[in-house]
This record gives sequence, structure tokens and C-alpha cells, in this order.
Amino acid sequence: MSHYEASIREPLVLGDKSYHDITEDIAKPIEGKANKNWYMAFYISLAAMLWGFGCIFYTVGTGIGVWGLNKNIGWAWDITNFVWWVGIGHAGTLISAVLLLFRQKWRMAINRSAEAMTIFAVFQAGLFPIIHMGRPWNAYWVLPIPNQFGPLWVNFNSPLLWDVFAISTYLSVSLVFWWTGLLPDFAMIRDRAVKPFQKKIYALLSFGWSGRAKDWQRFEEVSLVLAGLATPLVLSVHTIVSMDFATSINPGWHSTIFPPYFVAGAIFSGFAMVQTLLGIMRKVTNMEDYITRMHVEYMNIVIILTGGIVAVAYATEFFIAWYTGSPYENYTYLSVGAATGPYAWPYAWAFYSLLFFNILTPQILWFKKIRRSFIWSFIISIFINIGMWFERFDIIAIVLSKGHLPSTWWRFEPTFVDVGIFIGTIGFFFVLFLLYARTFPVIAQAEVKTILKSSGEFYKKRSEQGIPTKPAIVVLNVENGKENSDKNLNG
Amino acid sequence: MESSKVIHAFYTDDEILLDAVKAVKAAHHHIEEVFCPFPVHGLDKAMGLAPTKLAITAFMYGITGLAVAIWMTNYMMIQDWPQDIGGKPSFSWVENMPAFVPIMFELTVFFAAHLMVITFYMRSRIWPFKEAENPDPRTTDDHFLMEIPVHNNEEELTSLLSKTGAVEINVVDKH
Amino acid sequence: MGKNEVRVGRDMHWLRIDRYYSSGVEEQYKEATGHEPTSPKVRKFATDELGLSRAEMYEAIETEAENPQVTFQPMMCQHCNHAPCETVCPVAATTHSRQGQNHMAYNRCVGTRYCANNCPYRVRRFNWFNYSNNNEFDFHMNNEYGKMVLNPDVVVRSRGVMEKCSMCIQMTQATILKAKKEGRKIEAGEFATACSSACTTGSLQFGDVNNEKEVVTKLAADKRAYHVLDYLQTKPNVVYQVKVRNTNEA
Repeated sequence: MSHYEASIREPLVLGDKSYHDITEDIAKPIEGKANKNWYMAFYISLAAMLWGFGCIFYTVGTGIGVWGLNKNIGWAWDITNFVWWVGIGHAGTLISAVLLLFRQKWRMAINRSAEAMTIFAVFQAGLFPIIHMGRPWNAYWVLPIPNQFGPLWVNFNSPLLWDVFAISTYLSVSLVFWWTGLLPDFAMIRDRAVKPFQKKIYALLSFGWSGRAKDWQRFEEVSLVLAGLATPLVLSVHTIVSMDFATSINPGWHSTIFPPYFVAGAIFSGFAMVQTLLGIMRKVTNMEDYITRMHVEYMNIVIILTGGIVAVAYATEFFIAWYTGSPYENYTYLSVGAATGPYAWPYAWAFYSLLFFNILTPQILWFKKIRRSFIWSFIISIFINIGMWFERFDIIAIVLSKGHLPSTWWRFEPTFVDVGIFIGTIGFFFVLFLLYARTFPVIAQAEVKTILKSSGEFYKKRSEQGIPTKPAIVVLNVENGKENSDKNLNG
Repeated sequence: MESSKVIHAFYTDDEILLDAVKAVKAAHHHIEEVFCPFPVHGLDKAMGLAPTKLAITAFMYGITGLAVAIWMTNYMMIQDWPQDIGGKPSFSWVENMPAFVPIMFELTVFFAAHLMVITFYMRSRIWPFKEAENPDPRTTDDHFLMEIPVHNNEEELTSLLSKTGAVEINVVDKH
Repeated sequence: MGKNEVRVGRDMHWLRIDRYYSSGVEEQYKEATGHEPTSPKVRKFATDELGLSRAEMYEAIETEAENPQVTFQPMMCQHCNHAPCETVCPVAATTHSRQGQNHMAYNRCVGTRYCANNCPYRVRRFNWFNYSNNNEFDFHMNNEYGKMVLNPDVVVRSRGVMEKCSMCIQMTQATILKAKKEGRKIEAGEFATACSSACTTGSLQFGDVNNEKEVVTKLAADKRAYHVLDYLQTKPNVVYQVKVRNTNEA
């Protein structure tokens, strides 16, 4: 037995599943055809994506002036979206890496899709540092590559440069972790594939994985080490992103609480996005036996925890801004000024949205019935993501709108291009995810098979009845060389 | 040329497989390979496989990454073209080191992760366009395959394996 | 840049003159106490004596009096020695010269705008559109002949780069090179910027602070000298003098 699990723990795999059933369930969405709902969702996302691309081309061709920025507010939707998307990505890595280190077996049904979400989210995030530049065709200048300008190097003191290294490392390591885990599952599809094109593609994608014992030994070791490396990435990458603000001199940004607050906020919004995606996916790909109420509940518990940290951080910021007595702190994004000041529209509106979506709504997850409910989890997860978008917007636009000198006070209003690019990234994200759901094994089936005998519903029931998981040995009739396969299979 | 033969024994349960491996090793037969659809805890030890040194290589690669980061930041900001940027970097790497910590950390992780994975792929001989070598496609579904070379002991091996609970035994030519 | 751009806050002035008007509350405070108003005292007066709520108080101190007193504060790039803008540029497009100016390398700037966000004085300006060879922005002699007349030495900035007051670096360089060619030291009063030479009252003075004979050296060492937002430790190279009014009260 790979590991022992107490019988009072809920099963992680429902139904009377065998290993073969797992193979079939997870291969089905890939081998079958997409239905009307998939196509409708895909076309809507594609339209949004193309609209966003159009807005990006317009921006790059005409200038950042087509956005709503001005001399006092140099960042608004662009960096809000960047931080929002990066934050969402962190949940996937936490599920894959941190929960692996904590030996949480429930992660196995969700880590593949969560990690896919991470990669697609960080893709979207990575667009913004490039398109927000005034001259994005020179974006490669942030890389320390030898050149003919002297050679002119980059400025390693700059938090934006730390971002370059952090996001690149994060995206590439997540991709590699995800892909390595996918190899045995691609091999499963390859070996089952009948259509020659499918067989060729999955043979290519699986890198010739053969499932040798030595390969599995290395695979497990590499997974553990990658998990150990990805865990500090979860903490460090969003810390570095938060330092884009924390190292500046603007009141409201210059705050040492930002790193842990941002990391907690990232996990908060990321898990919410996982809930949103899996809430839909488990139904449309028929994975309801693998992504159970227990999975949803556990994810909601993480949401309550990280949401609580975020709420405490808000309270701290609010209190400290007041306690300092400094007039400059009075118009930070969490202050009396933001709530009641002369820039009430749209800032107070944004401020109150933040409070409502981020602090109030997750509190109903304290009720067990709510956090085990699929519908409520789905609704609350969407609210949380809306709230977290407002949080980043408030931090950026409200703080920049009031500086130290009164002559630097201004207001921000978005243009249709700001909105269009954001919607475009949402569309692009869903296009990628929808394609993934039909071409990639959405659950780590090899991992789930390792816990079938300890956590599968069928086996749990039998072990409660005292039946051991190891079946009795039936000796093979050596003359035929082949036995009826029914007898020795568990069941 | 005498073609060498191997026995392929199929199992459908990981605990039975583990006992079978132990039994075969106790009878002093050499196990060429075991193909599994998922990792079996304790299998590598039962088979007598040496533990993997990939974690140690990852550590080495990480140290390399750290060294590269330190060298790079020192060369670029202090030695080659030092500039006065907001009063920094003070023409001294040590004084500016805190600002370089994110770079050093990220490069450490980057080198450790990627080079380790590349080493893994090289050592296990897996890469794009590589042909799969599992003899039976069921080994990625729900069957385990133990491959044992035959040296004029086919009967002995077959009876041993059938007693351990194999669901199917085939004798094939090794290509 | 035209009315539309200015309306959304995208003027390109490298030098602005901030005007501070006394508020009604300040006048009331002066009348009631006879003292010169300071910000914390006025705020306390507004909430305690006048009974305003906190929000009302902030509104009140931002509303000018019927007959306000005005203070002018020209604000241009302060050329901070510990410039918050320089540290945050990822491509090192803005660095500090040995002469003390903050350099802006237009051709290196990729336009992330972090420097503008980090400047507490908000003196940096961004080229939101292609302003130079563009029919939409044909203001201030923006044609091929006009360009030869107005500031022909100053580089034309492309779309997507930051710009700001450079302390007329071209004029400074010209002065230095002239002195080099003539093989002499630069005399006091030889350095000038456009703003310092335009000001008729002599309120803007520019010079080499290392030369004791310069006007700026005396002014910088003066008792009235201060830096704007000095508690931010930006260590600016622009020194202001406290305004002294001759009032009747004293």
C-alpha cells in the first residue's frame, strides 16, 4: 500500500472505479468530440480575444495615449491586470508544489488543471509588461545581453527588472513542472490512440515515456525537487511584484506589509479562479467523481484562510494610515479620504466594491453547508476575483491620483482600449483553457491511480469491512500462458 | 546468432507486483525492467535500483546559478560600466547586495530547476521524437510488466512467476 | 499639445509654477489668533473651533479665500542626488551625471513610466503619442521650418519616451565647450538656463555651486534655504528660499 489513510477521511475518488476506469474517464474528453456548449464558449472567448488583440495593435501602433493615463497617473489598468493575472497564477503552483510537500493527496485531482490555469494566467500577465511600454519593440533591452551600446547593461536595482527575472523563472519552471507531470499521462493517451494522427501527436508530446521503474524513481525525485523549488517561487514572485509598489516613495505604496499581503491575496484570488474553472470543468468533462465536494471544501478553507489574512492586512493599512497622523496617508487607497473624499466618483465606488467583494462575501464560507455547495462556491469565487481586481486598481490608481504636492492631484478614467485589452486577455485565457480541456488529460491520472486503493470509495468501503486491498493470488495455469483477466483484477 | 529471449509477466495489482519482485530477486534472477502505469512505492528498493542522484545535481546547479548571478551583477553594475543611479550602486557589490537578492534567488531557482530537468530527460532518454519502448500498451493503463531475460531456464521462471500471481506470461524474442 | 491633451492631464511642460492660495480657514485662523497659520494648527482650528467634520475640514482647507494670498513655487526636475526615478528604471535610461544633473537618455527609454510614478514632484512627462511629425499636433510652429527656429539643439523625442527638465544641458555643454576652446575657467554668472535667463526678477538663479563667486552658492548656504519634500531624502539639487512677507502685524 502506498500510504495509509484513516477510514474517517472522505474518499477522494467516488464510485466503483478501477485503474482502467480512471484511464477511460480521463481519456474520454480527449478522444470524444466537443459538444455545442464547448463551441459556444470557445467562439465567445475567441471573439473577446480578437477584440483584445485589435486593441493591443491599436495601442502599439498609435501610442499609450489611447489609454486613459496622464502625467500624474502613469499606470492604471495595465499594471492592475498584470498583478491580477500573476496573482491568479500562484494558486496552481501552490496546489502542485506546496500541497505535494505537505503530502495532501486531495491535490491530485486538481493539480493538472490548476497548473494549466497558472500557465495560461502567467501568459496573460506577461503581455502587460511588454505592451505597457511606450516602445515595446525595444522590450528586449531589459535583458542583460551583450550589445554594441557600450555594452550598455540593465539596472539591477529596479524592481521592474526583478520582475523580468521573477516572471520568466516562474513561467518557465511552472511550464517544466507541468509538462514533466504530463509525460506519463500523454503516454497513456498515446498507447490508447487508434487514429494515426492522434497517435503521432501524443507520441511526440510524451517524449517516448515508457514507464520504466528507474524512470519513475527519477520522476518522483524530480517532482519533489521541483516542488521544493516552486514553493519559494510562490512566495518570492509575488513578493517581487509587490515590491514594484513597496519600494517606491508614494504614500500608500511605500508599505512593508505589501509582500505578505500580496502573496496571501494572490493565493486568495488564485484559488477562487480554480474554483470557478473547476466548477464548470467537472461538469462538462464529467469529472464529478474525481473533483468532489471535499475538494471544493478544502479549497474554500484555503480561501477563508488567505482571505482572512488579506482582511487583516486591509485593517492594518487602514489603521496605520490613520495612526500615523500624516496627511499624506489620508488619501491612500484604504483611508477615510478614499471613502469620502471629493473624488468620490469613481474612487469611493471602487473602494466600497473592494470591501464588499473581498471582505464580506468570503465570510459566508464559514458555514459548512455553503463551503460544500458547488453553486455557492462558484458564485463566491467570481465575486472574489472581482474584488481582487478592484484591490489592485485601488492600490494603483487611487494612490497615484494624490501625490505629495497638490499640483500633482489628478483623476483617472479608462478608455475603451483599456477595457478592451483586459477583456481580450480574459478571452485569450479561456481560449487556451478550453483547448486544453479537450486535448490534455485534465486530471493527473497516473497520480490518482496511486491513491485509488487507499482513497477510492470502493476500496475504503471494503477496508471498513475488513477486506484487504491486496487481492488473493490466483495461480496462473502455465499451459495456456494466459489467464482469464477477470479473476485477478480487483473487483 | 542465437536470439535472446525474455519473459514478460503481467500483473494487475501493485502489491502483488511488489511481492513478485521480491520473490524473483530472492530466487537470484535478474530483472531486466519493470514497466508501470504509475509509480509504485518501494519498487525501486525491491528491485535493487541505486537511489537517484538528481537531487544532488539540482543542488549543484543551484549553486552554479547563484554564482552566475553574483558574477553577472558584479560585472555589469560595478566593474564594466558603473553608473550613478540614484546614488547607487556605490561602486561596491557588497553594499548593493540587498538589491541584487531577487536576481540571485531567481537565477538559483532557474538554473536548479531547468538543468535538473534536462539531466533527468537525458538520463532517462526521453525527449521529443523519442520512440516509446514499453513492450505492451497496457502498461500505461492498468497493467504492470516485469521483463526477465531467459537463459535456458524458461520452465523454472514460468512456474515461479505464475506462483507469484501474474495474470499473463509471454516468452518473446528480445529485439 | 492642444486642448484635448491638456484637458486629460497630458501637458508637456517641463517647468510649471505652482500657485498656493490661502484658504478661507487660514484667514479665519489668522483673524482669530493673530498668528501665522501652519497646516496642523489650521486643521485643528477647523475641527475644534469651527466644528467641522474631518471630511469638511479637508474640503475647507482646499477652498481658497475670497481675497487669497498667493505664493508661487516654480517646480521643475529637482535633479535629486538620491533620485527615486533613477533607481527604478529597468534599462538605466536615467542616471546621474558628475555635474549633478539627472540625465534622461531618450534613446534608451522603453517607456515603462515607473520613473514618472516614483517622482514625488511629478515633473516627468511622457510622449503619449507621436507629437512631432504629426498633423494632429500642429501647435507652436510644429513644422519643418518652425523646428529649426525653436530649440534646434534639443533632440526631438519619439513616441513612448519620458522627458523632463534637463537644466538646459545643451546650454551648459555649450558654455563648457566654449571655455575649453578658449582655454579658461568658467566665470561666475556664465552658466544659464532658459528659465533663469527669462526671469526678469532674478527669482530663478542657476550656476555652479562649487564656485564661491556664484550667486547660487550664497543662496544655497542661506538661512532661508530649503528643499521641497526634503523629508523624503531625495537630496535635490534645486534649492528654494522661504518667502518672507513684510506684513503690518509684526
